[in-house]
Amino acid sequence: MKRNALASTLGALAAVFLLAGCDKPAPTSQATPPPPATSTENAPATVEPAVETPAATPEPVAAAEPKVLNLYCWSEYVPQTVIDAFQAKTGIKVSVENYASNEEMLTKLLAGGGSYDLIQPSEYVIQALIKEKLLEPINHANIPNLKNIAPEFQNMAFDPGNQYSVPWMAGTVGIVINTDLIKDDIKSYDDVFQDKYKGNIVVLDDAREIVSWGLASQGIPINDVTDENLEKIKPVLTKWLPLVKVYDSDSPKTALLNGDVAVGIVWNGEGAKLLQENAKFKWVLPTGAHLFVDSLAIPKGAKHPQNAQAFINFILEPEISKMISAEVPYLNPNQPARELLSEAEKANAASFPSVEELQKMEIFEDIGPQATKVDELVTNVKSR
Amino acid sequence: MATPLIVHGGGSDPQRKPGVGAWLFLAPMLGWLMLFVVVPTCLLVIMSFAERGTLGRVVYNFSFDNYVRIFSNGPILHIFLLSIWYAFLTTVICIVVGYPVGYFIGRLPERWRNLCLALVMIPFWTSFLIRTYAWISLLSKEGLINGLLMSAQIIPAPLGMLYTPFAVVLGLVYNFLPFMILPIYSSAERLDGAMIEAAYDLGAGPLRAFSQVIIPLTQPGIAAGALLVFVPSIGMFAITSLMGGGTNPTIGEVIFNQFMKVGDKPYGAALGTLLLALFLLSIWIMRLTRKEA
Repeated sequence: MKRNALASTLGALAAVFLLAGCDKPAPTSQATPPPPATSTENAPATVEPAVETPAATPEPVAAAEPKVLNLYCWSEYVPQTVIDAFQAKTGIKVSVENYASNEEMLTKLLAGGGSYDLIQPSEYVIQALIKEKLLEPINHANIPNLKNIAPEFQNMAFDPGNQYSVPWMAGTVGIVINTDLIKDDIKSYDDVFQDKYKGNIVVLDDAREIVSWGLASQGIPINDVTDENLEKIKPVLTKWLPLVKVYDSDSPKTALLNGDVAVGIVWNGEGAKLLQENAKFKWVLPTGAHLFVDSLAIPKGAKHPQNAQAFINFILEPEISKMISAEVPYLNPNQPARELLSEAEKANAASFPSVEELQKMEIFEDIGPQATKVDELVTNVKSR
Repeated sequence: MATPLIVHGGGSDPQRKPGVGAWLFLAPMLGWLMLFVVVPTCLLVIMSFAERGTLGRVVYNFSFDNYVRIFSNGPILHIFLLSIWYAFLTTVICIVVGYPVGYFIGRLPERWRNLCLALVMIPFWTSFLIRTYAWISLLSKEGLINGLLMSAQIIPAPLGMLYTPFAVVLGLVYNFLPFMILPIYSSAERLDGAMIEAAYDLGAGPLRAFSQVIIPLTQPGIAAGALLVFVPSIGMFAITSLMGGGTNPTIGEVIFNQFMKVGDKPYGAALGTLLLALFLLSIWIMRLTRKEA
């Protein structure tokens, strides 16, 4: 009998392996095998990043750098067309790996040190990485296109003087309303979380975001994430979160498009796509909305810093930056690129908040270990 | 003692010890288990006593803080119980749905069996994410099912099926059903038809033959299937967040968040270790009850 059970188990275990291709798509890598002449290109992939290969001595001359770039970026954030154009123009082979959160990126970066040439962290992560001396400074002489970045996105508090980072895309989080289903005027977070909208709300599955809305509704600065303030907003979240139907950070527009919910608090890029899709969707920026800036930066010990800077300079070309805006309609910090956009794109309220709105927005700061408490608060309130 | 390369599977001679040859055959499997099960598990347990450092680093200061935090956090118990409840429901439904299928395939003439097994497996050659998103477009308010029911005028307004516990259990059952069908199939296939005939000859009706002969003889398949469905269902996070909307976090989601969103790996490791302890406990209880039976 026992043997029979074991055989059954093993039979099904074989099935497990057949089914095991689940969970996440493997990181895409379009790297074709490097040309044989430059064997050092393989160095980043090997297990001992500490070993210095001849080509990777500090500050190599541009010509000495093999034509490769290891880009580690958010999924669905760097269009393939842009990568192809860069490869065609420079002959530098780009191998791309994707992540879904800043924390996932940090885990791999700190474990594998040195195998990535270019990363794409959000502002509070840049701030923390600079503090820990984990980024290579960039040489502005290599990035003449830096002048294309609008003045309000240069020299930001998380990286004074843009010594270590160059903005990729900025954005915010706001409210999208399906006006077919909701006729009322919604202006604030409190307007969204009303009993009558129970089961009709989608919000980002992001504890820091949710907590910042609670803080804003109580008039507390969103970076004051103290134990005391978390205690203060607990009753607010306890009232709000049971009304939520869906938590989704990856594609919050889906629930709105499918009609499963009538109102959502989503990334402005997602909101912009909804507005493009159907005129019934309306975008509202609540008071207390914050600005985020995702930037490109070179991690300490990167093997191909020159190629990385060439890439940064390339994406700052107005024509290229326009291609990025077309696929990910966030707030493009590139001034000349914005002027190239179509009238409809420029007029998209979700993509481009007004100057007054922008000036009022705060930016997330690194809150360190408080992140744990933020997550615990939201998880606990959710599971009631 | 060192018998030639014959590995005895059954317990025909319990005194017999495996020889060198047998160990040699086992070596790759043991190495695999060591490298991919034993070592990672040890790392997990060790990490559960560590602390969170800056930027989500792991600082190895031995302490029980993570466990204290778990046990002093009331809602986490609720989260564990909810995950167990979903897994239990999934297992029961999988038995009810999977048993007839597994039994039927096992009793088919041999040439049909492989075809039917392939039919069970083929949908699972598609990526897990695609299958899950397919369910989302089936179940959503403007989805296929609601569209069909409404155009046939069976329902006046769309049903809210997606992002409910119903959707979570549906997704879990759909994904884990083959793990139930296959072991039941394999024990039904071995079932000696003469036993069933004997039951009828001795005056048992179909119900009695089923409950007193067929079920006990296929019980190992049910047990194996239940374990294979129950255990992964508890830790599943993708289905609960995609189809359930993430409104009622399960333990799998909470652990996933510690590693991928919060950067508190030691706390996640402590939750994982507890979950592991729970599995071991449930397997141990199952063995105990089987011995008594």
